[in-house]
Order: sequence, then structure tokens, then C-alpha cells
Amino acid sequence: MTAQFDDMRQHRTLTSRQMAWYRFSRNPSALVGSAIVLSVFIAAIFAPYIATSPQSAGAHVDFINRHSPPSWEFLFGTDNVGRDIFSRVVYGYRVSLGLVIGVLGVAVPFGVCLGLAAGYFGGKVEFIIMRFTDIMLAIPPLAMALAITAVLSPNLINAMIAITLLWWTWHTRLIYRIVKAQMTEDYVEAAKVAGASHFHIMFRELLPNCVSAISVKISLDAGFVILFGAALSFLGLGVQPPTPDLGTMVSTGSEYLPEFWWEALMPGLAILYAILGFNLLGDGLRDMMDVEL
Amino acid sequence: MAFYLTKRAISLLMVLLGLAVMIFVIARIVPGDPARIALGPLATAAQVEELRQEMGLNDPFYIQLWNYLSGLAQGDLGKSLLTSRPVMDDILQALPATFELVLATILLQIIISIPLGVLAAYYRDSWVDNVTRIVSLIGVVTPGFVLAIILQLLASYYLTFFPVTGRLSPTMDFQASITGLLLLDSLLSGRPDVFFDALRYICLPATALAAAGIGQVMRITRSSMIDVGSRDFIEAARAYGIPERVVTLRYMLRVASVAPLTILGLEFASLIGNAFIVEFVFSWPGIASYGVRTILQKDLNAVIGVVLVSGVFFVIANLTIDMLLGLIDPRHRIRGEQST
Amino acid sequence: MSNPILDISGLDISFTTYGQRSQILHDVSMRVGQGERVSLIGQSGSGKTVTMRAIIGTLPMPPATIDGGSIRFEGTELLTLDKRARNRLKGTGISIVLQDPLLSFNPLLTIGRQMDDIVRFADVRLGITRNKTERGERIFEVLRGVQLSDPERICQAYPIMLSGGMRQRVLIGMALLNNPRLLIADEPGTALDVTTQQEILVLLNKLVDETGMSLMLITHNLGVVREMADRVYVMERGRIVESGDRQTIFRKPEHEYTRSLMDAVPPLYGPSVTDVVHDGVNGPAIQVNDVCKDFPLRSGLLNRQIGVSRAVNHVDLSINRGDIFGIAGESGSGKTTLAKIMLGLFSPTSGDILIDGKSVKEMAGTKDFRRLVQIVYQNPGSSLNPKRSVADQLSVPLLFAGYNKADIKSRIDELLELVDLPARYASMYPHELSGGQKQRVAIARALSVNPKILVLDEPTSALDVLIQNVVIDLLKRLREELELTYVFISHDLSLMRNFCNRVAVMFRGEICEQGNTPEVFANPQHIYTRALLSSIPVLTDEEAAQKPTVDAGERQAVLSSTTTLN
Repeated sequence: MTAQFDDMRQHRTLTSRQMAWYRFSRNPSALVGSAIVLSVFIAAIFAPYIATSPQSAGAHVDFINRHSPPSWEFLFGTDNVGRDIFSRVVYGYRVSLGLVIGVLGVAVPFGVCLGLAAGYFGGKVEFIIMRFTDIMLAIPPLAMALAITAVLSPNLINAMIAITLLWWTWHTRLIYRIVKAQMTEDYVEAAKVAGASHFHIMFRELLPNCVSAISVKISLDAGFVILFGAALSFLGLGVQPPTPDLGTMVSTGSEYLPEFWWEALMPGLAILYAILGFNLLGDGLRDMMDVEL
Repeated sequence: MAFYLTKRAISLLMVLLGLAVMIFVIARIVPGDPARIALGPLATAAQVEELRQEMGLNDPFYIQLWNYLSGLAQGDLGKSLLTSRPVMDDILQALPATFELVLATILLQIIISIPLGVLAAYYRDSWVDNVTRIVSLIGVVTPGFVLAIILQLLASYYLTFFPVTGRLSPTMDFQASITGLLLLDSLLSGRPDVFFDALRYICLPATALAAAGIGQVMRITRSSMIDVGSRDFIEAARAYGIPERVVTLRYMLRVASVAPLTILGLEFASLIGNAFIVEFVFSWPGIASYGVRTILQKDLNAVIGVVLVSGVFFVIANLTIDMLLGLIDPRHRIRGEQST
Repeated sequence: MSNPILDISGLDISFTTYGQRSQILHDVSMRVGQGERVSLIGQSGSGKTVTMRAIIGTLPMPPATIDGGSIRFEGTELLTLDKRARNRLKGTGISIVLQDPLLSFNPLLTIGRQMDDIVRFADVRLGITRNKTERGERIFEVLRGVQLSDPERICQAYPIMLSGGMRQRVLIGMALLNNPRLLIADEPGTALDVTTQQEILVLLNKLVDETGMSLMLITHNLGVVREMADRVYVMERGRIVESGDRQTIFRKPEHEYTRSLMDAVPPLYGPSVTDVVHDGVNGPAIQVNDVCKDFPLRSGLLNRQIGVSRAVNHVDLSINRGDIFGIAGESGSGKTTLAKIMLGLFSPTSGDILIDGKSVKEMAGTKDFRRLVQIVYQNPGSSLNPKRSVADQLSVPLLFAGYNKADIKSRIDELLELVDLPARYASMYPHELSGGQKQRVAIARALSVNPKILVLDEPTSALDVLIQNVVIDLLKRLREELELTYVFISHDLSLMRNFCNRVAVMFRGEICEQGNTPEVFANPQHIYTRALLSSIPVLTDEEAAQKPTVDAGERQAVLSSTTTLN
């Protein structure tokens, strides 16, 4: 867009906020994405009220209704012990979002700080942090997470730790790249001349310029963390039964394929739905804020 | 060029060394006694202690690390805690299958996603763009294991032509002894029947594995094409009367291909990660299947070996991509040689 | 003009962005005669580039729409011409030279390959058959025509391997490969140093003479227009506000906008020059004693240092209190490095700088030092943080000088008043301000802790010419009111002539000449100063006559070569 619209810039009368809103409201992916994400959050927060059969979330057994196909009573059908899959999915979102918040709550601040430090200080600090990041990036994340949870004993917390251990690298890389580019801008030097501390320059001057990229990244990440957690559970190394987890449900359900297809497919689609929402939202935000990842 | 590659290779070797150290450190920090795992819960404390001594677990940490690294340098990854077979042998046996799958996947990704990305950019904001956007989105958001299961389901009912598990029909009598890659070896030894059989087998796992990357690379290609399209030199080329087809392919795509290639390299680790699930679902006899099996059995030495070999894979892939980038982009070479 | 090669009449173009439609060109009419040189003058955003795109047919549609008017080339209406016929004209009928020489090349292909493409596809359109060798001969011929002495090596080079001046020459060569009848040049040479720009302009004039083609020059620089145009069109906000032959427009500009453009160009010689006088009885503010600065050159597998490049070489300067001391030089001359040493941002390799009698080495980084020297950067778009409000940015120096919250608040109001900005601007973000307003904020920030010395690093060169003077006037007023000393770094000698009382000229890291401004300009001693002065485009023949003259041999001796690869 750079050269092409040079001559028009003077004629713009919209403020940037209006422009951002215009882009957001005309951006179907942002709108659909935020609606989906909102619905997933509502489902997770109000799970006890939304679930049609809250007792299904636990180790409930109802042999009369086992393997029931989707119906008005059981929206997504029931599983091998007669639990309502819809209710389990709603509770499953709690687990998924809990995982997202746990992982990103630790990995993002950690990765961002390292990226800021590497980009800002340069030299040896940059060398050490970025080589370390390179090494961590070379490890296939799923393999590493599998290995860690397997050795530590599989449960939600260990899965969270394993994912967090590898997730920060992407944020470090992203922030490092942005900061490196920002360092050539004069405002960084101007702040130095004004006597600003390292802390001030990193967190007050540079960080605000990373915020839009971070928010897009977080939105896209949220989907992938859900996917990741589900994949671990699918292999039996994440959340353990009877806690309702989407990945575990797909894994158990797939044993009854293809006869009772809904048992694997419905939780699978539920995962897809949540990831889709976060992805659309991230894409929409990216268009809106004009960031490149 | 040679100089630039040497430089890249050295820095990647450093990554590899760091990787080995890091994995070893993590493996030692993680609670759990490898000797206990090897002997099982029924062994006596004395037996465990004896094995610890034998495995060198009582040595100081740095000596263990040194022994481990010098073993690595000779291609020794230690012995499996459960079968006592050298881990390296197991891995070497499983490696070609994974290599074949990953290679097929990347080819599939490039063949599908780059042309579609170019089309989407060329017909920007038209229905073509929207359709490719939706296709790429589906690819990105569908979890690999869900797609794998869906494909298996489809294959067992409708697409019965595609086998659901394995790498080659048991009726085929063929030993891939040249490169280990069935598709290649079958052609080299003049066995088209084996080639087509293997092709049938690899289709589904490669598709399941490629989906996420296809979406991503397609999107990057599209946005990169659009970005390059707005640069001055494209306008200049048009104004000098270079035909649109040549402008798109030689001028835009060539410059725009740098971004998707870089992404392919970066996402390679995720690709290997996903291979764990896809190989598991399709019973593909590669290192990922082996990895999942050993992880479930808590076979620590084997797990370390698998993770390390995956890292080597990543490093080699990135070196290859660096070489490609160097071939495409003279700035890459020159900058690499000047090195600031 | 009986038979114009290009005839635009009543052109209306509008753009639709973010759902809003705005008209960019209003009833634009202009003509270019056979072999004529026509200039289109206007500031950025006036619609010059849109006009150019409409002519060559690279206007992006959408968002652009052509609402009316016509563009005729050699009698043929371009706007309704079918695509094939229009494409046939590209490069052969009409060709362009874009503004930025680096961005106009495909970075991944060699120069030779790109030039060959241009010739080859033009041959296809025109139905000519030439083999590669014949095309190569044509390319060499053109490259020699733009005075590049080693066409073979240039063809094998990638764009980044060439210097800026050479790229510009090659670019002109590319445009001329297929003998266009009309060449449109968008700000040729503006991205280059003034001495290189001068060579490019001379070359363009020569080529127009030799080939008989018509030239349409798009520029904002009136000095360039005087040397390059027979007729002139002045464009303001998408309208042609004045047109006529060059002499008439330069002597008697009718439209107010044209006059303000003319007034905005500071005179280099003649009666309208302002002499700035200041007697340095107050004692020295800055003493630069034999300062050198080396930067390491690294190479090889282990990134070992293989040598040094000397950016500043044995510089001695003495700047008095109350001086406006100009440091002139082209890019790479070391002037910015010197400024950064004065600010304590780089430490000198040898030598020392005393400010107010105290060594910068010892004082750098202290509160006292910050109260002594501050800096205003060239581009406020870069020196202001885009994500922080004006008040936030002004508060940084205050915060780190130990002001408390209430004092900061009142000081910010004071500062905004000082630079003539309303107090409500405190809560605004940089993108809501114009370029001139941003630069005021940057000046206010530099003044916030009451420094005695300001280093001004090209403070006006990123601004539109009409705003430059406003900022200069503000700086003059502030100097009077606050008794400041200025170190003014610039490549714009005309501006320095009227703003500085003393100047030093830097050349390859050394001070080659310094003295009182009127004397240096009236009687430049060093060849480089003379070459620099002789290259500056001026507005009147009288001024041009007073410029020093430099012969080709001397020029070659001091200027970096733009015609051969090293």
C-alpha cells in the first residue's frame, strides 16, 4: 500500500479509530470470529446452566441411554457409558480455556520480556537469548510435550507446563523482530538522550509498539493451544478421565467408529469450532491493525 | 555462496549441539529414575542401584554429559531401557518411512499452496480469493488427528482405494534397500507395481499432515504476492511493457516466494510434531510411531533419541531452505557474506 | 503548440477508501509538445503521481475511478484504447523513471536480465526479431549513452551492488531502451546527494537534446525546474493552478500558491540573502579537539575485525555561545556521527569534546549533561513514538530530571505554548498531527529541561517546503528568547546561508573548510565546497551566475564516481 496511495493520504478525513472500526465492521472474519469466541467463553463460564445434563461431566453412568444418536434430548448424542456429549463438550471448553489461559498467561509475558531484552540490548544478551530460542524452536513441540508429560505423569497441569516450556519461543521471535526494527527509529535514541532508563525504554516506549502484534498473535495462539492440548489428550497424555476433555473424547469416541460416528465427530467439531473462532478473530484483528506476523 | 552456506551450517551445528545438551539436561532434571523404569516396579533397591552404577547414573553430571555427547559424536544414542537394543538401530530402521512421509507432505504443500496463493492474490477480493481463503482456513483450523480420523472414516467407506493403515501391501515383496524410500527405490529398481502401491498408502497420511501447512503457506503466499505487487519495481516493469503473465510469475512470485519458503522452514518443527499423531493414527512405521510407543513406555533413552533426531531433521530442513533462499535472493548471499 | 505529443484535458479522478469517495484530480488539463520539456510542480499529496499513473496506465482501479476527461497521446485517446494497443505503447511510446532508484529494480535479477526482458517483450509487441546478442548490443549502447563506462560488468551486477547514482543512471537507461517518444520522470535524483542529482539532471537534458524525445518532469524542487523545463504547470490539491513558460512563471508568478512556493526557497546569492551575524564574545560553548571516530569492519566466518572505517577524522571545531553553527556535508560525510559524539551517544576513538569547558566523556549520561545539550532529529515521524501521546513524550525528559507530577503537568503546558501549540494537543497522538506540528513537539521535548545547546539534525528536511520556513522562524525566535546555541547539521546549503552565522563543511570525515557564513559562500576555498555550491539548483539566473564554477577534472577528484563500478 505504500507508494500506491501516496497522493490520497492528505484527503483522508477519518480518524484512525473510525478507520479501525470501519475495517472491523466490514470484516466478516472478525465479526464471525468474535461471535464464536464469545460463545465459547459463555459456554465455559456458564457451563452448569447451559449443560443439559451437568452430571454427565463427571463419572456418570447411564447404560440405558448409551450410544444414543443426536436427538432433542441429547443434542450431540451420548457416549459409550450414556453420558450426554453436549454437556461434556460445554464442560470441556472450561478445560480448554483454562489451558489457554494457563499457558499463554505464563508463556506470553516470558517470551515478550526475552524478546524485548534481546532486541533492545543487542550484543551478548541478544546472542544468548536468540541462540537459546533457536535451539528451543528446533525441538518439535508436540514431541517434547509428549516426552515431558509421559515422564512426569499425564495430567492437565503437566500438559500445561510442557506446552508453556516451548510456547514462549514464538513470542520471543516475534517481539525480537519488531523491536529490532523499532531500534532504528529515532524515538529510542531520543528517549536515551532524555535520560530514560532501560526499563522505561523497553516497557514504555517499545512495548506499546508491539501490542497490536501481540494481541493478534495471542488470538491465533489460543486456537493452537486448544489444538495442542487436545492432541496430547488424544494420545492419552493430557487430561485424564473422567474430566471432560475434547481430545480425550475424540480418542475414546474413535474406538466406536464408524458405527457411533457422533462420539468422535461431535467433540472433534467442537474443537474445530473453537479454533476457527480464535483464528477468524486473529485474522480480523490482523487486517484491522495492519500488523504482519 | 559456499562461504555463506558454511557460515549457516556452522551456526546450525551450534544449534544442534545446544539441542543435545538441552535435551539431556531436561531429561536429567525430570523426576523419575531411568534404572527403576528399566527394571520395573518389582526390582529390589539393590538391583536398581547396580544398574544405576552400570549406566553411569551415579557419575557427576558433567561426566554423564560428556559421555553422552562423545557417544553422540560416534552415532551412539545409548540403549533402549526396555529392549536393550541400541536406540540408533531402531531409529535408523524407522527413519526412511518418516523421511518419505515428510518429503511427500512438503511436496504436496508446495504444489497445492503456492499456485493457489498466487491465484488468490491475482483475483484478489473475487470469489476465487474467498474460496481459497475458506479452504486454507479449514486446513489451518482442523486438528490433525480429527482430519486423520475423518480421512480414515471416508477411506473405509467410500475411498476404499486408499488403504487405512500401513506403508505397503503385505503381499508386495519388496525391500527398499537403496535409499530406504519406497517410492524412490521402487522406481530405481524398476518395480512400478510397488511404486503405485506405496503411492496409494502414502496419500492419506500425507494429506492429513499437509493440511495445516497448506493453509498457512497459501495465506503467506497470497499476502506476500499482494505486498510485492504494490512495490515500485512492479509498476516500473508494467510501465516498461513487460507482459502481465511475466510480471506475475518472474517478477512478483520470485520475490514473493521468499516468505512462504521461510515459513516452511520455521513450521518444520510443528510438521514433525504433527507427524507423531498422523503416524500414530495411520500406523505408519516411522520414528514418530516409534516415539509415541517409547514415550508411552517411558523408555527415556529412546525418547531422547527421537527428540534429538527430530531436531536434526529440523536443522537439515532449514539448511536446505537457506540454500534455496540463497539461490533465489542475491541479497541473502551478499548479506550473509558481509555479515555485520 | 500545433501538434502536442500528450494532451490531457478535463481529467477528473477520484478514489474510494474506507467507504468514502474523494476526488483527487479536478479538471486537470495539460499539454506536452514534441521535444518539449514540461514540469509538473507540486508538493506531496498534490496529485502529481496520480496524474502520472493515469498517463502510463498503472492507476489501481479500484480504488481509483476516472470520472471524466481525456488523455491523448499522439492524437490517440488512451482512456478508451483497448488493452493490447495500450500495452504496445508502454515503454515504446511513453516510458517512466520512478522516484526511488533502488525500489525500481527487481532485487533478485541482474541488471542485464531486467534490461533484456524489457527489450525482448517490446520486440514481441512490435513484431521485431532480434537475438540475444543483438539485444545485448542495444543494452550496452544505452548504458554507454547514460555515461556508464563498464556496461558488461553492470549487466552482471545485482541492483544492490550499485551506488545510488549509478542506479539512477541505469534506471534512466531502462526507460530509454525502446526509444520512447515521451519520458515521464518522477522526482529524478531527489533521493540522491545534491552533487549526484546535478549530474543526473545534466544527463537528462543531454539525452532530451540528443534523442528529441519529450520530457515530463514531476518535481517539487523549483531549482530543478529552472534547469529542466521549457514550460511549467503548478498543481495544488489536484488542480492546475497556474501554467506558462518557465521565464514568465519564475519572473512573475501569478497564483498565490506559486508565489509561496517561490518564497519558500531560500536564496543562495543576491540581495535577498540574510546575513546572520553574531560576535562570539561570550566564550566557547563547544570545543571539539582533534576528534576521530572509527567503526570496526568485520568479516569472515568468525566475524573477526578486519579493519576500521574512519567516520570522523581529526576534527577540530570551536563553537561559541549564541552561535548558529552549521555543519554541512553530504550523506556519509560523518556529520551525524560527529553530532552523536557531541551528545555522548558515541565515544570518540581519540580526542575529546568539551562542552561548557567540561569533557563529554565524563559528563555523558548525567542529569547535568542533559541540561546542557539536547537534540532535534530530522524526521519527527521517527523521533516521536507513534504509540504515545504528546504529553507522555514531553514528560520523559522531565521524569528523568526529577520533576514531580504537578510540575510535569504545568511544564508541558508551558512547553506547548512555547512552540505555539494549543494545550489540548497534549492528549493527541503523533498520527493526529501534521508534519510541522510533530516537529514542534519534538522541539518542545528537546527544550523541556532547559538545555543551553540544541543539536539540530536536519530539522526541516523531512518537511514540506512551505512548512520548513515556519519551523526555521520558530527556531530563530526560540534562540532569541532562550539564549540558545545551535549546532545545525544539514545538506541544504541555501538554508544554511540564511540561518547560520558560521559554517563548517565536512568531506569524508574531515572538516575541509570553516568560517563565517558570508565569507565561505562568497569565496569558497576548498574544491569540494565549490563543487557542492555549484551543484545547488537556484531560482534565478543572477544567482546561478554567482555560483562558483568547477571544471570536470576537479569535480571528478572530489566526488564519488557514479559512472564506474569499483
